[in-house]
Amino acid sequence: MAMEIFESGLSWEVRANSRHYHKHKQKKSFLCFHWGRYADNVVHSYKYSPLTFLPLTLFEQFQRVANLYFLLMLVMQCIPAISSVPWYITIIPLVTVLSVRGLKDLVNDMARRRSDFEVNSRPCDILVSQSFDSAQWKDLCVGDVLRIHKDQVIPADLLLLCSSEPHSLCYVETADIDGETNLKYRQALSATHTQLTSQPSDETLAAFDGLLLCEEPNNSLYTFRGELHWQGECHPLDHAHVLLRGTVLRNTAFAYGVAIYTGADTKILRNSGKQRVKTTQVEKVFNRVVIGIVLSVLLVALLHAILSGVFSSQVMGNADISSTVVVNANPVYTGFLTFWSYIILLSPAMPIALYISFELIHTVHSQFIGWDMEMYWQPAGRPAQARNTSLNEELGQVGYLLSDKTGTLTQNRLVLRQCCIAGEIYGDASVRAEDVEPMDLSWNPFSCGGLHMSAPSLVEKLRGQQCPPSRQFLTALSLCHTVVTEWKEEALFYQSASPDEETLVGAARELGWVFLSRARDFISVSELGVTRQYQLLALLDFTSKRRRMSVLVREPEGGLKLYCKGADIVILERLHKDLQYQERTERALELFSQACLRTLCVAVRSVPEASWEQWRKTLAQSAAMATCDRDALLEKLYDQMERELQLLGVTAIEDRLQEGVPETIALLQQAGLKVWVLTGDKKETAVNIGYSCKLLDPDTRLLEWQELRQILQAPDPGVSFFKARQMELWAVDKKMAGAKTAVVLTGPELAEFDQRPEWGSTFMSLAEHCQSVLCCRVTPGQKADIVKLVRKHTSSVTMAIGDGANDVNMIKTAHVGVGMAGVEGGQAVQNADFALSQFRFLQRLLLIHGRWSYRRISLFLRYFLFKTCGFALVHIWFGFFNGFSALSMYETWFIALYTVLYSSFPVMCLGFFEKDVSAESSLSWPELYKSGQRQELSSPLILALSLLYAVYSSLVLFFIPFGVFYDTALDYQTMAFTVAMAATFTATIEIMLLTRNWTKINIAAVCVSVVLFFIGTGITHSTVLFKKAPADYIFIGVLAKAFVDPVVWLTALLTAWTAVLPSFTAHAVNITLTVHDKQKVHSISPQPVELKSTFRRGTSLRRSPNALF
Amino acid sequence: MVKQEKEFVNRPDNTAFTQQRLPAWQPMLSAGIIIPGFVLIGLAFIGIGVALFVTSQSIQVLEVDYTGVEQSSPCFKCSDPDVKNCVCKMEFNIDSLFKGPVFFYYGLSNYFQNYRGYGVSKDPNQLSGDLDSFKVPSDSCAPYEYVGKTPIVPCGSVANSMFNDSFKLYQIVSGAKIQVTLDGKGIAWWTDYNVKYRNPSVTPLKNAFNGTVKPTFWSKPAYELDPTDPANNGFINQDFLVWMRRAALPNFRKLYRRITEGDYAKGLPAGNYSLEIAYNYPVLSFDGRKKNEFLGIAYLVIGSMCVVMSIVMLIVYAKFKFPEEE
Repeated sequence: MAMEIFESGLSWEVRANSRHYHKHKQKKSFLCFHWGRYADNVVHSYKYSPLTFLPLTLFEQFQRVANLYFLLMLVMQCIPAISSVPWYITIIPLVTVLSVRGLKDLVNDMARRRSDFEVNSRPCDILVSQSFDSAQWKDLCVGDVLRIHKDQVIPADLLLLCSSEPHSLCYVETADIDGETNLKYRQALSATHTQLTSQPSDETLAAFDGLLLCEEPNNSLYTFRGELHWQGECHPLDHAHVLLRGTVLRNTAFAYGVAIYTGADTKILRNSGKQRVKTTQVEKVFNRVVIGIVLSVLLVALLHAILSGVFSSQVMGNADISSTVVVNANPVYTGFLTFWSYIILLSPAMPIALYISFELIHTVHSQFIGWDMEMYWQPAGRPAQARNTSLNEELGQVGYLLSDKTGTLTQNRLVLRQCCIAGEIYGDASVRAEDVEPMDLSWNPFSCGGLHMSAPSLVEKLRGQQCPPSRQFLTALSLCHTVVTEWKEEALFYQSASPDEETLVGAARELGWVFLSRARDFISVSELGVTRQYQLLALLDFTSKRRRMSVLVREPEGGLKLYCKGADIVILERLHKDLQYQERTERALELFSQACLRTLCVAVRSVPEASWEQWRKTLAQSAAMATCDRDALLEKLYDQMERELQLLGVTAIEDRLQEGVPETIALLQQAGLKVWVLTGDKKETAVNIGYSCKLLDPDTRLLEWQELRQILQAPDPGVSFFKARQMELWAVDKKMAGAKTAVVLTGPELAEFDQRPEWGSTFMSLAEHCQSVLCCRVTPGQKADIVKLVRKHTSSVTMAIGDGANDVNMIKTAHVGVGMAGVEGGQAVQNADFALSQFRFLQRLLLIHGRWSYRRISLFLRYFLFKTCGFALVHIWFGFFNGFSALSMYETWFIALYTVLYSSFPVMCLGFFEKDVSAESSLSWPELYKSGQRQELSSPLILALSLLYAVYSSLVLFFIPFGVFYDTALDYQTMAFTVAMAATFTATIEIMLLTRNWTKINIAAVCVSVVLFFIGTGITHSTVLFKKAPADYIFIGVLAKAFVDPVVWLTALLTAWTAVLPSFTAHAVNITLTVHDKQKVHSISPQPVELKSTFRRGTSLRRSPNALF
Repeated sequence: MVKQEKEFVNRPDNTAFTQQRLPAWQPMLSAGIIIPGFVLIGLAFIGIGVALFVTSQSIQVLEVDYTGVEQSSPCFKCSDPDVKNCVCKMEFNIDSLFKGPVFFYYGLSNYFQNYRGYGVSKDPNQLSGDLDSFKVPSDSCAPYEYVGKTPIVPCGSVANSMFNDSFKLYQIVSGAKIQVTLDGKGIAWWTDYNVKYRNPSVTPLKNAFNGTVKPTFWSKPAYELDPTDPANNGFINQDFLVWMRRAALPNFRKLYRRITEGDYAKGLPAGNYSLEIAYNYPVLSFDGRKKNEFLGIAYLVIGSMCVVMSIVMLIVYAKFKFPEEE
């Protein structure tokens, strides 16, 4: 037995109804030790407990190099021998930074804890010794038998044992897993069905003692392998027997199941990926710069330490009084102390205040996103939300937008917009669905609205008993489907595995053909008030290969009719030879697909009694046959029946896009974003949506797997790609040889990438030239893999947007994840960095908020780097003239207050309010967004230039006062004040040059900073404070003395002006040169982007986007 | 009504701040403003530069180097540290009237008064008259803290190294020496001798110094620094205060006396003078002597740079502008 298990790989053992056995083996963990096999059904995504909060948060925070560095500084400043600056200068900012950050993390964790609690305490019914007890999700254990009620969410991956429906069928909605809202059916094993439902009672279920052997927990949603050993028999299991956690039971009163995988072992959680801490590109670059600064500081300190040793040994050699200046005798020891002193002295070059300001700016930017009225979705009363408040500037750099389809691009609402019956077209697709004038359907008691097609002439014909084809067309719609009915509160509801069918049956109902109920052999339909019973003889079901379905019915009058509906290509080739309306219908098909409507052809055939009899016999024979040949045989048989059809008409369904999707996509593409669609849906549907949301142009060539594979396998893929593309396009349109290609892939095809990792980079370089990439039938895991692929092979920032639990993984993997706050679920939002209610809000989120954030934060970082380095590096130069003794160039209070008070407000205002162009202009000129994608404001080069500029200004800040003070009677304290004043002026003038958008707050901040400098200096130089602590306020009286000295003022003025001269010149040169460029830009695109409402009809390249289901 | 309110639940506030529509001034700078602006600033700087330069030119400076490195110097004999109480005379001549008030500085070069260890070597409590610190000076004064077990007051490196040469200036009128009155008051900062440094409130001051010794390098104790004025002694002696206010850079001057009283208040007339130096301070090496014209020149340089740059910009601007007009 054991051997067998290993061979088959079915090593996951579950014993039904033996809680004791599994509890024993449950996963447990203590600190970092884990043991046990089965996960419990408790979700916990929170990180902290009251006990671990402090150590964990400190541990996390000191992983930031800056925080650790400052802690080190603090420790060193407490050593008197090397303390060039007192310790209190560092501790205040450090403690502030740590506590603000820690508090923020704590609040976030509390929110996670609450949402976990909510999930873990959902109710479920567990079978405990003979009867079902109400319990909570977290109590569930592997092997438990559960009862699921209608509309309940399934708490774990279950093996379906039996259900209230015939044949133990049950319907589930998988919206949270694959985003599709149509119903899927699952069926119990016939063995369990017959045994357990013969006497449906809790006792029989309690007696169920099957042994389940399954594969180990994995993340594949569409496969499952297992065996049920029960009553001496072995039954193979596949995914059709399994109810997955997160799906919802529909249309089934109740279902029973055994828990196979719980908690972290379930397929949905296996798919959800790991929570990652996201860091922005700008921050990464900046961190590298900071490390660079630290290394330079170390180097400089080392240099000065050596020089200081040399200096002291030289001075000691002097015979005269000047030798007494140097107290310590040992040059090596002096050098050693000096090294640490310089590290402390230069530490302000690495700005700790930056991190706290950075976080504050991020928080305010996030608030701005939530405050934006134009991203507020009134129907749901929901504003946009920035859940992760540290990724704002990343929004201004997105290069790839990977979007889910259902619920994100589309509303997941299908609407019948047009139809063509007997060559006549009804309805008008050029009118928006909401604007369609509703028809008067008051004559129809079953009408409940929701028909977005206005065709009074059709209603007239129907009610006037004219035009038999249109009557037959509606009969076909009301008979040929697999919809089930449900009465709820005196109203008729339709439930279906296919949203298209539901729409068509609903439309037929509005027009008077009401599908009432379905029994085993009968379908009853109310035709304009007359109820008719059709005997259902055969149902020729849909497969993706056949792309059609049919029903064979006996009319109440006795005649036999076959109604068939399916994709146009399939139906048209099966029609009767002489056709009246073929030409007109084909034209209608073309018109419909131009309007991006999904089309289905409906046809009928009168079947002679004799041929039915014969067909039935053959069918019965083949149905009894062995399995493998059966499918092929059945298909052949079905094909015989679906012949010589008579075309009734064509339906045209609109997959309703969300408002403004095509415009948004067009705008984003203009802004240089690559928009890809990743969907669990079928290829046809995805391609259709691609056309209708203008992601693909009518003449876009679709590159499918066969061709793509050849290209990827080619020795020089780039060349062959272009060749292939040009060859074909050449004949069509020379101009179109540009980027008019889109790649279409499906999940299984993508799986091949796993085996061929070398294809990744080739594929990406190819995809870069393409208009778009559509991935269909992909699992959540694959969605994430695609994101990883993009991340790995490009340097672009990726953004994933989706609405369902199936998008969670991708949202987490992407640099930025956006969740659509849909009607239900909310899993995506829980895990997203930003939550939006409408796809079109992306325009504002990216082009306005993102662009501004990027600009503000880049400017902020550059300026901060400049002002702190420029201010701190002065000590290097001063070192050469004070015997490398680590004497501070400034009063220690100035060092502490400079970053906090004298120079922080204006730059914060810059971070909050700066904008180069207005919101409207940002949308009008989406090209402006490209500068973020190219990292134009935050490239390492730009930051290096800022550093160079800082070095220059520090040179100026020291050497101009040096020249003035050299060989004069002006003392050290006066010079310190002069340099400090010059540094403050420099920082202020520089921010004035950077600020382009002067609000009143900006002006106030600039004024306040300068005033604060004088007030603050005045206070620290005051007599009162000196008397309190003579050792700490030694600069007493300096301000008063220096204030009236014209030399000090003139020196500070000259120094500040010279220090900002390069920046000023650069601005001036920029203005002189670029005024014309801007005028050019404006004249090129004088008006905002406008989507052309008329688009050219494509050529034969355009595929018919028809699909059944 | 209630329902209406509910409809706007969660709706963001429509304020200029939340909608990022705060009224703002966006200065539209064009070349037409920038280039003349540059010229103006440049000219202003040149103006200041010229004014400063003229001012510094009008200041009359006379320097006398008495280091005594050269053998021909009258102070050569004093430059030997072993010679005690050496007095030397430097004779010099003034061609034209030195307009008053005349300031008398002494200067040192390559002297690192800004060495950090040197600067901290003092006891602020002692210097503000705290008698406890007289008995137990702060550790920061080491190694100028104790002589044997007796505390040094004032302790520390800075005080110990106080400049102690003294000068007398005579005008020689037909062979007779007329002493020029030097004013030793008002050479230190007001805050220094009124707030920062205080003598202990003990009279006579001498008693406060019982049980202490003078700094090793000093010839007189702190309470006898100025025999002429008892109020100018102890820690508020102005020569002491001038020394204690550390220089910014290794080459520096310090104010020694002003000539504000007597016959010479209006200035030093042309003639022959003799400077009598009580040479005590053992310093060698001296270089660099000049009037400080740096600031004026710097203003001129930066101002001219601005003007030159604006001209370059004008040329560039014209080059870019005219092709477009064609």
